[in-house]
Amino acid sequence: MKKTVLSLMTSVLLFADSDMEQLKLDIQKLQEKVQKIETDNVQKEQENLDAKMANDSSSSFSQNAYLPDIGLVLDMSALNRNVSNTSYADYAMPGFIASGDAQPIFNPDSGFNLNYAEVSMHSVVDPYFDVFAVFHLHPDAFEIEEAYVRTRALPYSLRVKAGKFKSDFGRLNAKHQHSWNFASQPLIYEGVFGPDGISDPGIQLQWIAPTNIYVMAGMEAMQGTNTQSFGDTERNNLYVGYLKSSVDITDDISVLAGVSGAHGKNTSGDSDVYGVDLTLNAQLGSYSSLIWQSEYLKRNMDSTTGKDKQAGVYSELIYNMDSNWATGARYDAIVQNDTDMSAYAGVDTSNLDRTTVMLQYKPFEFSRLRLQYSYDRSKIIDNARKDVSEVMLNLTIEAGSHGAHAY
Amino acid sequence: MKKILLSVLFAGSVFANIQVDTTYAALGEITKKVGGDSVDVVVLASSKYDPHFIIPKPSLLAKLRNADLLVINGGGLEIGWLPPLIKSANNANIQAGAKGFLDISHFLTLMDKPTFVSRGFGDIHAEGNPHYITDPHLVPTIAKVIAKKLSMIDEANADSYAANLDKFLKEWDVYLKTLDTKMATCKDKKVVQYHELFNYFLRAYGFKNYGDLEPLPGISPSSKHTLEIIDTIEKNGIKTILQDVYHEKKTAEFIAAKTGAKVALIPHDLGAVQSADTLEEFYNTIATRLCR
Repeated sequence: MKKTVLSLMTSVLLFADSDMEQLKLDIQKLQEKVQKIETDNVQKEQENLDAKMANDSSSSFSQNAYLPDIGLVLDMSALNRNVSNTSYADYAMPGFIASGDAQPIFNPDSGFNLNYAEVSMHSVVDPYFDVFAVFHLHPDAFEIEEAYVRTRALPYSLRVKAGKFKSDFGRLNAKHQHSWNFASQPLIYEGVFGPDGISDPGIQLQWIAPTNIYVMAGMEAMQGTNTQSFGDTERNNLYVGYLKSSVDITDDISVLAGVSGAHGKNTSGDSDVYGVDLTLNAQLGSYSSLIWQSEYLKRNMDSTTGKDKQAGVYSELIYNMDSNWATGARYDAIVQNDTDMSAYAGVDTSNLDRTTVMLQYKPFEFSRLRLQYSYDRSKIIDNARKDVSEVMLNLTIEAGSHGAHAY
Repeated sequence: MKKILLSVLFAGSVFANIQVDTTYAALGEITKKVGGDSVDVVVLASSKYDPHFIIPKPSLLAKLRNADLLVINGGGLEIGWLPPLIKSANNANIQAGAKGFLDISHFLTLMDKPTFVSRGFGDIHAEGNPHYITDPHLVPTIAKVIAKKLSMIDEANADSYAANLDKFLKEWDVYLKTLDTKMATCKDKKVVQYHELFNYFLRAYGFKNYGDLEPLPGISPSSKHTLEIIDTIEKNGIKTILQDVYHEKKTAEFIAAKTGAKVALIPHDLGAVQSADTLEEFYNTIATRLCR
């Protein structure tokens, strides 16, 4: 019995002994592992440091995150016209544009045209200002089309814009060429303001009324460099004011109406331009709508020969069929033209008008192919009234960051 | 007398509601739940239309002009229509970065964030899929974020917002349990969809999307791609095509006729289809139409 107990005890002890040995071994192994990890870590740290030293690429001064939004618009066309390019370059529009004074900067030539590459930038400056710039690059000219700052945080629903900008006169003036529904300007706009519209250094103040319907009033003081109607820049001469309002008749039908006035000076005296505009938008679906837009402009201007009274109108109907296809038609005309016509003796200068139709295909939001035909009865070419017919295929692309279009 | 007049004036200022504009209807409904009587909610976009392409009507400027807070979905969903409106609304409160601007997407982890973006891939959102509103499990987070923002803007009513939130979260928890139970009975979990509009709901309940009718986001279906989808449907035995209310429905109907799969018209927001005017109705409608 005793023997058995003893042997049992020794075996337990022995067992315990070998257990202890095992534990010691385990601890030793663990210590080795920790040691290795520690040396590895030190080594890695050193390697990291070496690597960083060797390739010191600090980004502490990088300002990439603050780069402005940059966009690129390209506009080009293939065109056929029943008038030679040299004759067309000197066209006259009686009462508005004398022969040799025309500036057909968009789609001037039969054949191929690269109208412009337009680089736009936008950035938030700080909590108080946004900045916008649009650089218009023609094949042989660089133009700052717009460059202005706009306030973000004025009270009482006020906003100020300062710099060079397109006036919010009327419905069309502030829109850039690539967002027009047709490649050409309405005759009255071209006649009164030229291809750039009212676009001048100046300052603008706009206010939105605290009403349930949209009512906006704006005032602008501008340099008045536009020689088509103004241009007496001995001092700033142009003042623009407008009132715009919009009502939703139903959820899907809205009306936007505006009245505008511009008072400035030309080298012979005063110039006043008045405008009335009306836009009806019926939304037929997410990608389908019917838009009817019309505008009437009237100009009273002192000229070398007396007091000119002129007016014109355009009306256009656009049908956006789906996200890809749209079609539209426009009629524009000069409806009043009381001015000196002695330069056109023997030439019929009455009933100046034009009809334009277009069909447009957008493969995607950012590219547009537009087929446009126009029949223009407003031009005097080579000292004779000439009806100009023109067909063009126009391609416009908007790449990079491009802001959503306003209404 | 003076005292009465004073207290009337004071009461007037206390009970003056704050105006909260939300871009879409579901966000508006959650704001109403949390805001209660202290908040007037204005929803900007109609849920009849594609949320990416809302017409920036000038009437929306009148609605934005007076807002104390603008709650947006974010994730790039509003980029095609809202930025010019914010700029032209002449309201300092709601400029991006101002106190009265709230982008919900910043508080959620968006699905399918691309590692590389190019418009060559169509209209993809660099921030990830922005259509998170179809996941009912995200509603509590959205409600908490809105409640927090409301109490920052309108400290006087912070307690009431906290109480509203608490009540809503409890109700929502109960509702979610019944919805989850209902969805658990759902057997067929294979679908195709028109646009990646319902991914969040599909993920929440273990559905698998086998393809989109659009070849690329924002690009209309092509005949080649439609044939590929028909092939996918036949190979995988898919029985459901998810269709939204605002895209053309011919492609889905054509595929359905060819394959025998059924077209399910799914709302993308409150009010997009009939009887989806409350949050519960909205998710119930999706559930019922998906799980037949």
